[in-house]
Amino acid sequence: MRNVIVFVLSTVLAAFGADNPVSPDSDYDYVPPVPGSYSLPIVKLAGDGALFDSDGKPINLRDLTHGRITVLSFIYTRCAAGKACPYATSVLGRLHILSAEDETLAANLRLVSLSFDPEYDTPQRLAAYSECVREVKSGCEWRFTTARSRADLESILAAYGQAVDKRANLADPQGPLSHVLRVFLTDRAGRVRNIYSSGTLDPRLVLADVKTLLLEEAKLSQK
Amino acid sequence: MEGKAAYDCLEGEGTDRLLESTHQTTMKTLVKHRPQTPPVPHFIPAFALGCILIFVLGVARADETCSSPYLARIDGQEEFVYVWTLGVEGMGDGSDKLATVDVRPGSASYGKIVNSSSVPGRNEAHHGGFTDDRRQLWLAGLDTSRVFVFDVHTDPANPKLIKTIDNFAEATGGAAGPHGAYALPGRVLIPCLSNAKDKGGRTALVEYGNDGNFIATHWLPTKEDARGAADGNFADGYGYDARVLPRKNALLTSSFTGWNNYTMDFGKLTSDPEAMKHFGQTMVMWDFHARQPKKVFQVPGAPLEIRWAWGDKHNYAFTATALGSKIWLVYADDRGEWQAKEVAPISDVKGGVLPVDISLSADDKTLFVDCFGDGKCRVFDVSDAQKPKQIYEKQIGRQVNMVSQSWDGKRLYFTSSLLAHWDKQGADNEQFLRGFAWDGKELKPSFDLDFTALKLGRPHHMLFGSTKIGANRAVASK
Repeated sequence: MRNVIVFVLSTVLAAFGADNPVSPDSDYDYVPPVPGSYSLPIVKLAGDGALFDSDGKPINLRDLTHGRITVLSFIYTRCAAGKACPYATSVLGRLHILSAEDETLAANLRLVSLSFDPEYDTPQRLAAYSECVREVKSGCEWRFTTARSRADLESILAAYGQAVDKRANLADPQGPLSHVLRVFLTDRAGRVRNIYSSGTLDPRLVLADVKTLLLEEAKLSQK
Repeated sequence: MEGKAAYDCLEGEGTDRLLESTHQTTMKTLVKHRPQTPPVPHFIPAFALGCILIFVLGVARADETCSSPYLARIDGQEEFVYVWTLGVEGMGDGSDKLATVDVRPGSASYGKIVNSSSVPGRNEAHHGGFTDDRRQLWLAGLDTSRVFVFDVHTDPANPKLIKTIDNFAEATGGAAGPHGAYALPGRVLIPCLSNAKDKGGRTALVEYGNDGNFIATHWLPTKEDARGAADGNFADGYGYDARVLPRKNALLTSSFTGWNNYTMDFGKLTSDPEAMKHFGQTMVMWDFHARQPKKVFQVPGAPLEIRWAWGDKHNYAFTATALGSKIWLVYADDRGEWQAKEVAPISDVKGGVLPVDISLSADDKTLFVDCFGDGKCRVFDVSDAQKPKQIYEKQIGRQVNMVSQSWDGKRLYFTSSLLAHWDKQGADNEQFLRGFAWDGKELKPSFDLDFTALKLGRPHHMLFGSTKIGANRAVASK
């Protein structure tokens, strides 16, 4: 496996380099809409459920989807499908770095990576994972969590419509679980305002949506 | 340089934990690419990683070529063809139904109906679509505006009706005539044909969550309310198909006609000059993320199905005009501006051949055009999208409507019915599902199901089912 990883990484990086800008051939070849120039309808209410955070402390999902604008990503750390969990976490990583340079984002944004593989993704593993993927110490809150039990997990997945299945081949190089990539944007009141998947999880769009919600709040407070 | 850094992350920390997870390795590499301000996505390595993994693993995938890019894909060959079928009074139970056909090669029931699940009444069954996780199949009725939701995950060979939306017009603020469902992340986009107020062609796009909750209604632009769209003075407010090119954040819609016309007897309709004025003459390009119309194109003659090309640099879509019998291309020009132009006639038959459904091959080279008027499928070489050339035609039946093509381009399925009141009469009213094999040169029959003899009704839209569902196309194709 190590050889495969090194081969893949070296090939990828040789092909694209470290600072390849967005080109007309990239997968997000457009100018994102201006924040506040559009609205984000309420999709549904965010679900609740019992979690452990990466310190092993009990916490409720509701507490992580209220009080701040939240980007919630369902992942599992064994996922090796390049455009699935690794990509989703990379997008959250970029938002985290941006928030370290933006006081408004730092104070109002929360990132949550929620594992649907609780048997493997223990709090200890999530803590190590968190250390590996964080680029900066400062920035907005970024929580790494997992369900307290299989039953808790099932109810959370049902509430969010997150499909997860075991692969027939548990040794599949892409990981033992098959799933649709889902990342949720919730507003401060715990309402889902957008759902992203492969093809729409453009960090520029997520950022535009976060800023759109902030502008919406500002307008409401003026009224 | 970064490759070395990633390697160091693996080797330097020297823990089995890191080596166990390619996720962590990839992440460390990706996160190290610090974005600029404004943020510049540096996710290209992840795309290429997926591409290489697919290449290395040799994953075989199939599916319909015209489905949503957000849809979870079938791994391997399709196992079932779901056929949304209009009920016929006095035929069987007379109700609309979802018929399931076994298309597993070598199966004892290959080419046979293995399940038929009826819904209440006749609703002008027309189009449908899966949710993005492919667990539900949403089927719409053009007449009653009901939407029927089937579970196709628990037992793909035996879909079960689990929910009915029967307050569509009320919930959506007056949209009517739901025309299928198009998978978006966590939700479906339902393009409509009509409205509840005057039952004309003014209509909307509607969004529902996968759990059946109404989210939003987006009315098509009109001349009076173009909502900032360029060339808005041409906007007619009509709708039909709606499809997305994610790479360009582009949503494209087409236009047909309203309830007053599509429920009228076809002979009466065509002899009514006033009624014939009420057909769509436009397509609209939208900012998909903002759901805002950006430009209106004049495309006379009722442009129907939209097929975006799949190629990474193919920024174009085809459509066919039902009343004009033309192939149109909507494309990004050299400056990146969206344009629309007629690129080929469909036959030289006087009065046209009423092209209805089209299917573009996954390699963007071949376009299949079903012509209801003469029952033929015409095949065009569209390697040069600006200059389609007809290369083949096949008599499918006395009438033909929908065509669905497998991702590998080897299998095509055809159904016969257009609309309950528009289908041909007497002996010309054949109702069938016919399977064909395509070898790049000709269509060869593989099975034939007579929906009249089976007392099922008028078969319309087909969708592929399987027990083996993988990631969505945006993942799988990378």
